[in-house]
Amino acid sequence: MSAALVARELRMVRRSVANCFELEIPYLEMRSSEVLAVLGSNGAGKSTLLRAFAGLEEPTAGEIVRHGQGPVTMVFQRPIALAGSVLHNVRIALRAQGLPSPEIHRRSNEALEHFGIAKLAARPATALSGGELRRLALARAFALEPTVLLLDEPFDDLDAGAQETLSRDLRQAVAQTGVAVAVVTHDLRRAVLVSDRIAVLIDGGLRQVGERNAVLNHPANLEVARLVGMSNLIPATFDAAGLATVDSQHAIPTGQPGATGPGWLGIRPEHLKVDVGRGEGSTIGQGELIEFSSDGLLATLTIAWAGQTLRTHLVAGRGLARDLRTGDRVSLALRPEDVHVLRDLPQGEKEPRLPS
Amino acid sequence: MAELDGPTLLSITLRTLAICGSSLVMALGLGVPMGIWLGSRQFPGRRTLLGLVNSGMGAPPVVVGLLVAQLFYRSGPLGHLELWYSTQAMVTAQILIALPLVIALVVAAVASLDEDWALQVRALGIPPIWRQWLLLREIRLGLLAAVIAALGGILSEVGAVMQTGGNLEGETRVLTTAILMYTRMGLFESAYALAAVLLGLMLVLAGLLTWVQYGERK
Repeated sequence: MSAALVARELRMVRRSVANCFELEIPYLEMRSSEVLAVLGSNGAGKSTLLRAFAGLEEPTAGEIVRHGQGPVTMVFQRPIALAGSVLHNVRIALRAQGLPSPEIHRRSNEALEHFGIAKLAARPATALSGGELRRLALARAFALEPTVLLLDEPFDDLDAGAQETLSRDLRQAVAQTGVAVAVVTHDLRRAVLVSDRIAVLIDGGLRQVGERNAVLNHPANLEVARLVGMSNLIPATFDAAGLATVDSQHAIPTGQPGATGPGWLGIRPEHLKVDVGRGEGSTIGQGELIEFSSDGLLATLTIAWAGQTLRTHLVAGRGLARDLRTGDRVSLALRPEDVHVLRDLPQGEKEPRLPS
Repeated sequence: MAELDGPTLLSITLRTLAICGSSLVMALGLGVPMGIWLGSRQFPGRRTLLGLVNSGMGAPPVVVGLLVAQLFYRSGPLGHLELWYSTQAMVTAQILIALPLVIALVVAAVASLDEDWALQVRALGIPPIWRQWLLLREIRLGLLAAVIAALGGILSEVGAVMQTGGNLEGETRVLTTAILMYTRMGLFESAYALAAVLLGLMLVLAGLLTWVQYGERK
């Protein structure tokens, strides 16, 4: 996959009366036929980065290099309808590019059909609902056949079904057109569903970028781990053989021999198993179920173990998830390869907070 | 002075339309770009400018007339142009009266757009000329309001046009100054005829614009 857009030594400083915000990106590239999810909490600089990529905001320093001939376009977090019909909204940018009429007709009709708003073509765009407006904004962007497409929180205003459709459409469009897509989102689930790679922004800094699974399973530090859903972060002491000791009594094999001393174990909830004797990893001891919640699809178990609060998931309404009650004792198991070792410490802390 | 006859009424009406039409076109030509600029830019002194514009909306036309008359008076700074008591001086006064109204209403229309509107249009790769056209299309209701307000201000104005035009027969006499003159002379029938034409013009033009505005909103 070739680079469609590259940012080097990018620095953006935004000053207002109340504060000063800085975004620093040493290197980040968007690749053709790939979706890059830019993940970060509110105010991390995600939208600023996207606007810089779109050429809407000038960097304070550094450069953004675009490769390829096609347009770079962006869909905003709050989609904006231009005065006129839905069809006018889709066609206006095509007309402005001077495309021949048959081409304008083909592209606009295809885009409207693709996003399921062909029936609304004659309706004033300002009369659309939030979800319809979102689809119009996407149709308008796709009709341009861009080489780089930037989507700012594209799943807002969409119900669950429409989110699924958009994720699928996005994947299809990427496969068919080779467009490089960046999706800014604070929704980890959506980021995981649509992305090939993930870039993590925290407080204006690019903390990690990499293949989706690498970022999810091997976050660079605790901040990234928390942001990418590695919610089980356990202070531990490591020995040279890669054995982690938690609470001075629980030994957990990490399969990662190396540096000794204090650190953190990072375990994704989906990797922590409730041991039912199937041999899924090594047993790490028993814990007490202190909270059980379910959204109908997924049950979340909160378990007290070795002075820590751990979380894991089960499929709702089946097997254990049907039988477990708060207060039950459960055996926990882990595979060494699912344990991520983090050596860094949270800001202001010199040592991991080991349970007394 | 005789009672008003048909040809005179027609001549005064056509002159009024010509003078007011010219003033309106020029006020819009100047005011719309200035309003767009002032409404879409942030710069030091912007608030002061907006304050001046808003104050201008409430400026007494007779004061504007006085300033323009002074400007074009024989011994005034532009006296050499010999435009005192001319239609050009009347148009100048009317432009100055209408300009703050146009600018203020266009600023309000631009400011009412979504803050990301301009960025979204740029993000679609639309060239600058097209962007300006789209902006005018977007603020068209505000523009219509500006046209109605400016037209009302210009058509109904009497003090400034009297000071700058002098109500010269066949040259600078317009509906409002003629009404004033016939009233002073006690020729009320003539004054009422002129008033009926003026009111009719206002109603037809404002009604037409309101109809267009209403049609856009539907």
